[in-house]
Amino acid sequence: MASAAVARPTDELAIGVIQFPATLHPSINAMTAKSYVLGMVRRPLTTYDAQWHLVCMLCVELPTIENGLAVPLDLDGGKRGIRLTYTLRPDARWGDGVPVSTSDVLFTYEVGRNPKSGIGNSELYRRITHIAAKDAKTFTIEMDKLTFDYAALDDFELLPEHLERAAFADPTQYRFRTLYDTDSTNPGLYFGPYRITEVASGSHIVLEPNPTWWGEKPAFRRIVVWAVENTAALEANLLAGGLDMVAGELGFSLDQALAFEKRHGDRFTVLYKPSLSFEHVELNLDNPALADKRVRQALLYGVDRDAISKQLFAGRQPVAASAVSPLDWVYTDDVPHYPYDPAKARALLDAAGWRGEDGGIRRNAAGEKLTLDLATTAGNRIRELVEQVLQSQWRDIGVELHLKNQPARVLFGETVTKRNFTMALFAWTSAPENVPRTTLRSDEIPTAATGWRGQNYAGFKSAEADRLIDAIEIELDRDRRAALWHRLQALYAEELPALPLFFRADAYVLPKWLKGVTPTGHQYPTTLWIEQWRIEGRETAS
Amino acid sequence: MSTALAQAASRWRRAFAVPQAALSAGVLGAICLAVALAPLIAALLGADAHKVDLYQHLAPASLHHPLGTDELGRDLLLRLLEGGRVSLLVGMSAALAAAGLGTAIGLIAGYRGGRIDAALMRLTDGIIALPLLPLLVVLAAIDLRKLGLPTWLVQSEAASLYRIIVLVSLVGWTTVARLVRGATLSLRAQDFVRAALALGASPRRIMLVHILPNLASPIIVATTLSVGHMILLESVLSFLGLGIEPPLPSWGNMLTGAQETIGLAPQLALYPGLLIFLTVIACNFLGDALQDALDPRAQRR
Amino acid sequence: MAHRGAGDGVLTRFVATRLLQVLAVLAVMSFVIYGLIGLMPGDPIDQMLTADPHLTAADAARLKALYGLDRPLAERYLAWARAALAGDFGYSRLYATPAVVALLPRLGNTALLMLSSFVLSLAVALPLGAAAAQRPGSLLDGAANLLSFAGMSIPPFWFALVLILVFAVALGWLPAGGVATIGDGGVIDRARHLALPVATLTVASIGTYLRFMRAAMIAALRQDYVRTARAKGASEQRVVWGHAFRNALIPVITVVALSFGSLFSGALITETMFAYPGMGKLIYDAILGNDFNLALAGLLFATLLVLLSNLAADIAYAAADPRITYR
Repeated sequence: MASAAVARPTDELAIGVIQFPATLHPSINAMTAKSYVLGMVRRPLTTYDAQWHLVCMLCVELPTIENGLAVPLDLDGGKRGIRLTYTLRPDARWGDGVPVSTSDVLFTYEVGRNPKSGIGNSELYRRITHIAAKDAKTFTIEMDKLTFDYAALDDFELLPEHLERAAFADPTQYRFRTLYDTDSTNPGLYFGPYRITEVASGSHIVLEPNPTWWGEKPAFRRIVVWAVENTAALEANLLAGGLDMVAGELGFSLDQALAFEKRHGDRFTVLYKPSLSFEHVELNLDNPALADKRVRQALLYGVDRDAISKQLFAGRQPVAASAVSPLDWVYTDDVPHYPYDPAKARALLDAAGWRGEDGGIRRNAAGEKLTLDLATTAGNRIRELVEQVLQSQWRDIGVELHLKNQPARVLFGETVTKRNFTMALFAWTSAPENVPRTTLRSDEIPTAATGWRGQNYAGFKSAEADRLIDAIEIELDRDRRAALWHRLQALYAEELPALPLFFRADAYVLPKWLKGVTPTGHQYPTTLWIEQWRIEGRETAS
Repeated sequence: MSTALAQAASRWRRAFAVPQAALSAGVLGAICLAVALAPLIAALLGADAHKVDLYQHLAPASLHHPLGTDELGRDLLLRLLEGGRVSLLVGMSAALAAAGLGTAIGLIAGYRGGRIDAALMRLTDGIIALPLLPLLVVLAAIDLRKLGLPTWLVQSEAASLYRIIVLVSLVGWTTVARLVRGATLSLRAQDFVRAALALGASPRRIMLVHILPNLASPIIVATTLSVGHMILLESVLSFLGLGIEPPLPSWGNMLTGAQETIGLAPQLALYPGLLIFLTVIACNFLGDALQDALDPRAQRR
Repeated sequence: MAHRGAGDGVLTRFVATRLLQVLAVLAVMSFVIYGLIGLMPGDPIDQMLTADPHLTAADAARLKALYGLDRPLAERYLAWARAALAGDFGYSRLYATPAVVALLPRLGNTALLMLSSFVLSLAVALPLGAAAAQRPGSLLDGAANLLSFAGMSIPPFWFALVLILVFAVALGWLPAGGVATIGDGGVIDRARHLALPVATLTVASIGTYLRFMRAAMIAALRQDYVRTARAKGASEQRVVWGHAFRNALIPVITVVALSFGSLFSGALITETMFAYPGMGKLIYDAILGNDFNLALAGLLFATLLVLLSNLAADIAYAAADPRITYR
């Protein structure tokens, strides 16, 4: 595809993404586009790096029991909490020169705790029982539960008190008054390697180096993040030189990247990294057919997941055995596997009481047909293709599938949250070593009575799973915890509250001269290490 | 009466004397035949339009798959034929429905005249003038359960089929209405109608018994012309994901994802659209020739 | 024989009457669309209220109780209409801005697309139709006939795919999407990005206009006054272009006036396929994204745009034909 090349300076980077962030506030409205951009201009307290180790970003040292910065507490009722002491980096300063201090920490807690402020991750703030500042840089936090990841404060995103206090005067108005959206280019909002200098809503965001940044000097004098909704246009601009790279976190779909690599692999590097987006078929276990474990297992035996992975995804999206990613250190392969075996599927369905004549849809003793509904996000071509594969392959084992697609907002806002579905094909995004409390624990089943709280949409109730989940959360010893995780994965693979499909792979399309971009494989974006990105051997486009 | 029949017959013959009309009728006939024979062709090839075979993903043309396969390994030729069956079915049903509605409106407007005629024609013009596609998109997106329809009906596979036929005929009746109105106006002035009036026949009797049978020609012409239009509307809506839903193929929804794989598999984009094009242009040529031949008052070429 | 038009007073009255009609249609359409939007999946009142920044939580609860789905449709509609007349179309959920702010920039883009296509299709169809009418049965006539049928029959989204395949993928001459290249944005760049969308949009209009122009021209050429003019010794050029063409334009303008609706519909498909940030794509995204306020506002603006174009064409029609009497 030959187009006139756009001449651009060598110390500028143009990144293409497919979506523009609706808001830039770090804690309101979780969005990949937003965290991608914010990764360049802020740092969380702690995060997981590319090796999936918990590291300090804004803090000086990770509190551990060994170094004394984490102290277990005995709480009422025999429970154990923990007191953590963090010290903010002494050289951390907001872009306007004001030091990042514990008054920001206390303010952030105030905002996060207020139910009207619109902050998304209220779970974190609910767990904090006490927070106090020792001095301008050191503070202590007390949590109501001693979990193994006690030191992880990834989602505690600091807000600049000296700027945001005024916007928070009326908490219910905060999310509309926050400077992150009303004055996005204010330098005082950011303390990372870059700061945002221009926002053209719906189009692009311009970033320039932040003079108050404490770390390695970043390589680019200017970065522009362009939101291009159409992947053909994304590709065209990439080839024309208007864009240098396409973000893997939110850019090409896998098959588009594969096709792109085939055509232009000589000019660009394409990196594939499986992510923590767990594509699966959520099952509503209240459905009488699905309540029988044999039926669920039969359904999984009846799908040729290897063929889907190989033929549709060129093998880049590994088949999932359970909800735990192979990149996670607690992953084990020692769980029941379900290779494609239609004969076994048929046998299981027969055993479960679903009989069928040759080629017909199976019926049970009462004469009802084995008919199931499957919903997914309308307009997602890959999912629609996978749906059709499922439908065809399940037809072969006598299961009739009706496809009911809905807009994403309706699917997640109503259908799934209120458990109005039979089967739903979508993805969970989790975190490294993420304990599936809200998705598997029996007290997290959303009901009208609880105001639809919880994410156990399947309605999975297993006393053993509950016990394992509780035990894992508080088990500090790594070996013992790994054993518990292995048992939980085996249980999941045996009971199948959902049908695991794949972990989605992200495709990073990078120019040959850009080094240092390390895909992480989890939800913390590559931009958190943007100061490590280097230019090597770049010539001006001609 | 027999002279009238003979006259009609000679007019039809005249219609098909025009080369485009004959060719169009031939093309349409061929397509309809091929589509009807789909099961036979499937048996001959030993292939299936619905069977997913991932290992045949985007396979090139071969004896077993004359046009190759699509992304899920389904035989492309058979999918085109099955899709044709759906598209033609929807097109023709919608055209018939639209014809029914349009005839009623045109007949009443033409016969009654005066205020009723003015109001109905204003309505017709109004509908033609509106931006129809955005409205159809909203209509297609509504949740039928909120209209009181039972869930089992709404979620049945046939639902998307019925819905698209209703939607498309809701906006497609205007051509028929206008043609019928014009014909009614001239028929109303004729002697046999005056005679019936003098004999005391009620307006309804006159409309149904005397005028309607003579509207056969304009109705046929208008219906033929609208089949093409209905097929186009259905294909646009299916293309946008709001009409016939996969896995039921229709020529329109076979093109839905084609843009993203256009570099890789252009045939997936070319064939379904080509078939829509050929069908619609054939309908238009045919309808046009019929109009010339059957309706002497129409502008002669 | 042309004589002086019926006078400015009558023209003003005509325009005023038609404007009132436009407003009436808009009012009816707004009610219909409001009702339809309420039938979309999800809770429309929720969607319309909760995105509004000027509401406190108490306000939202109160309003929801007041205008919730248990209230009669007419009441809810009137509440919405009152706000809309004051310029408040609510907040867009997808863009986190007032709906009108999200809409207005896109209106310009669509207008540019529609106008370019409109001008191009008239520039091709009118002369070609007139020329073809003069030579019935010739090769030119046959080609024009074929072109007009093809234009009317071709599925626009398929034509777009073919254009993309040929010009963007195979030849690489023109871009397959977007409104400008990043880092460029000059006139030539923008024109290159407009080329394929305009071509897609034009082909359907050319078909219709060509057909009607040809038919109208043939009818006009047969009229008595043409024979009279020829008998009086007027040159063939003058006869054709001075008399017949101008008279043929009149019925064509009628068709053109009714075609803006389908032009906008075509624009919706074109914008969606070429990622061209216009009103059509906005409406489509809003409906599919369950953004009720934006969908409602967008649909009404689109209807208004079409009705006004309609009116403009009607005025041109009235001005062109001195024989018109206005009611």
